[in-house]
Amino acid sequence: MSASQRPAMSRRQLLTMIGLSAGSSVMYQAMHSLGFAADSSFQDPIRLGSAPPGASVLVLGAGIAGMVAALELRNAGYRVQLLEYNGRAGGRNWTLRGGDKYQELGGEAQECRFDEGLYINPGPWRLPYHHRGMLSYCKRLGVALEPFIQINANAYLHSSKAFGGKPQRLRAVKADFHGHVAELLAKATRSNALDAEVSADDRALLLDSLQFWGALDKDFKYVKGAGSSDRRGFSKDPSGGLSARPEFSEPISTHDLLKSGLWAGLPFTDMYDMQPTMFQPVGGMGRVGEAFARELGTLIRYNAKVIDIAQDERGVTATYVDAQTGANRQSAKADWCVCTIPLSILDQIPMNVGGPMQKAIAAVSYCTSVKVGLQFKRRFWEQDERIYGGVTYTDLPIGQISYPSSNYFSDGKGVLLGAYIWDLLNSYEFTSLSPAERVAKAVEYGAQIHPQYKTEFDNGISVAWHRVPSALGCFALWSDALRAEHYDNLCQLDGRIVLAGEHASYLPAWQEGAVTSALDAISRLHRKALAAGAKA
Amino acid sequence: MTFRARSALVAIVITLAIAYLPARSNDAGIMNAAVLDTTDGQKIFEEVCQGCHMNGARGAEGAGHYPALANDPTLASREYMALTILKGRRNMPAFGEKHAIGFGGPPATLSEEQIAAVINYVRSHFGNNYTDKITAADVHALDQDAH
Repeated sequence: MSASQRPAMSRRQLLTMIGLSAGSSVMYQAMHSLGFAADSSFQDPIRLGSAPPGASVLVLGAGIAGMVAALELRNAGYRVQLLEYNGRAGGRNWTLRGGDKYQELGGEAQECRFDEGLYINPGPWRLPYHHRGMLSYCKRLGVALEPFIQINANAYLHSSKAFGGKPQRLRAVKADFHGHVAELLAKATRSNALDAEVSADDRALLLDSLQFWGALDKDFKYVKGAGSSDRRGFSKDPSGGLSARPEFSEPISTHDLLKSGLWAGLPFTDMYDMQPTMFQPVGGMGRVGEAFARELGTLIRYNAKVIDIAQDERGVTATYVDAQTGANRQSAKADWCVCTIPLSILDQIPMNVGGPMQKAIAAVSYCTSVKVGLQFKRRFWEQDERIYGGVTYTDLPIGQISYPSSNYFSDGKGVLLGAYIWDLLNSYEFTSLSPAERVAKAVEYGAQIHPQYKTEFDNGISVAWHRVPSALGCFALWSDALRAEHYDNLCQLDGRIVLAGEHASYLPAWQEGAVTSALDAISRLHRKALAAGAKA
Repeated sequence: MTFRARSALVAIVITLAIAYLPARSNDAGIMNAAVLDTTDGQKIFEEVCQGCHMNGARGAEGAGHYPALANDPTLASREYMALTILKGRRNMPAFGEKHAIGFGGPPATLSEEQIAAVINYVRSHFGNNYTDKITAADVHALDQDAH
């Protein structure tokens, strides 16, 4: 196609936009035909039964998978201990709030300077209603949830190369795309072009449905008027009194809309992982990890860097050192081991498991991802633009801007997620920058969508997942071919060791993958422990 | 879209991404629209590799580590380096167009010419003094051999 016909966004960028919005298994489902279950495999609550007398389990990693495993095994009567590299629990379940300090690989340190009550979640930030495992543990642990606004009709779709770079409201793009498609399809139907596909009886029903779905007029046209403005919004809203009369807005033309590429932002509003209702913990996703940590208390040993994992016929021994100093070499022993250390790190730790599992651990690389949190002096997106929660998607390198789903209408400062990117080169590029430069770039690009950035920006913080010392990457990057060759070998119980985490799931990057992986792993471990008997 | 067309598109986007370079060495171009030539090994290192291998190619250590590429005897083999970038190695993602894995969309990839350029750059900087070079054709040949 010629340059003039080419959409303002490349196919790659469109896919990026979709991928960023889905962020998840949905794209895998769409593009790779993986065998997803229709719903989380979670069965509430798990009933392991009783542990063999005296049996013990060592859990490596106090992220969601490790803490689910530890909690359930402890409740079943196992003697449990956890080793955690960080000085806090949660792993990638993590919230940065004012006063928090974070030092990334390479040595650059940041201190979060957000106001009281404001935060960003560098890792997971939302819970689909069908992630029943996560929702169940939130309820059990007393973590309060509130709605997370994923889809906001008044947020923007933005292409730097369309409409002069002016962001378009999602509702207008959606109404116009549906309207134009409905009009074309109605025209084809009425000119008998679809007679071979549509029976005479269905024809009238199809036309009725297109008229209603696309807000077409009596002549099956999508035009400026009450019908279209009722979907896309008015240029002057109806009100009361003498100035009550509404003014209708002008739809975007079919050509301009197609050429803009903004239609690529529409399907994510229908994606399974993004559909309402979504939830978030009140006060930040990190509340989940914090609640698990309270529950597990002194079972967790923090600042423990595992440097060796060895099993024999009697048990498993993990050797660890102080995460900060590398000194104070110690060991922890148990009959069994649930290892949730990310493969990016586990691959570097000597561990005597069989060849197939070794190969599986070594086969998987980790995705790059970057988030930037920006504090502004006021909530201009609400005050000036009436955007309450939700996400704006853009072809700019920042990928998206997400507006807070809490404390609406509050005075004082507010925090946006000012960039969320992965996988593509811009994510590597952001990772390569210093933390301060990432923040500066996020402000620079975001100002193209919200000019208020220039005067209202206060401070920011950034996390590049390849530089997170406890993770060395964001999540396991599986392909169909890698899964076919290695996935089962990764998940098999190897002697006394079983792995768990999002990397051992078909829900990459989602906490539900960690939860269901852990429950599956400990169920198999428990059966083996019972078979081995009391004297493990 | 054919693979060839997709590769071309990917290459264009990478060109866009790597091309725009302000004066500061690590102030990344970040998918800027400016189209420039892309075969500057230093730029590729600073905008892609440096994310993990760090400024000065000094590597880093946390719960696990990223290897330093400075003063690195394993770089004696340019073929080893090329295969590592093409196909990935352990936690290092593959950047070869045939091997890179995307999450939702096409992944970030480097062309054979870019891979050759960044290898030649790293092998002659950061205390590495290898004088033999690798070409895009060499990288291409390695990609054919290695499966």
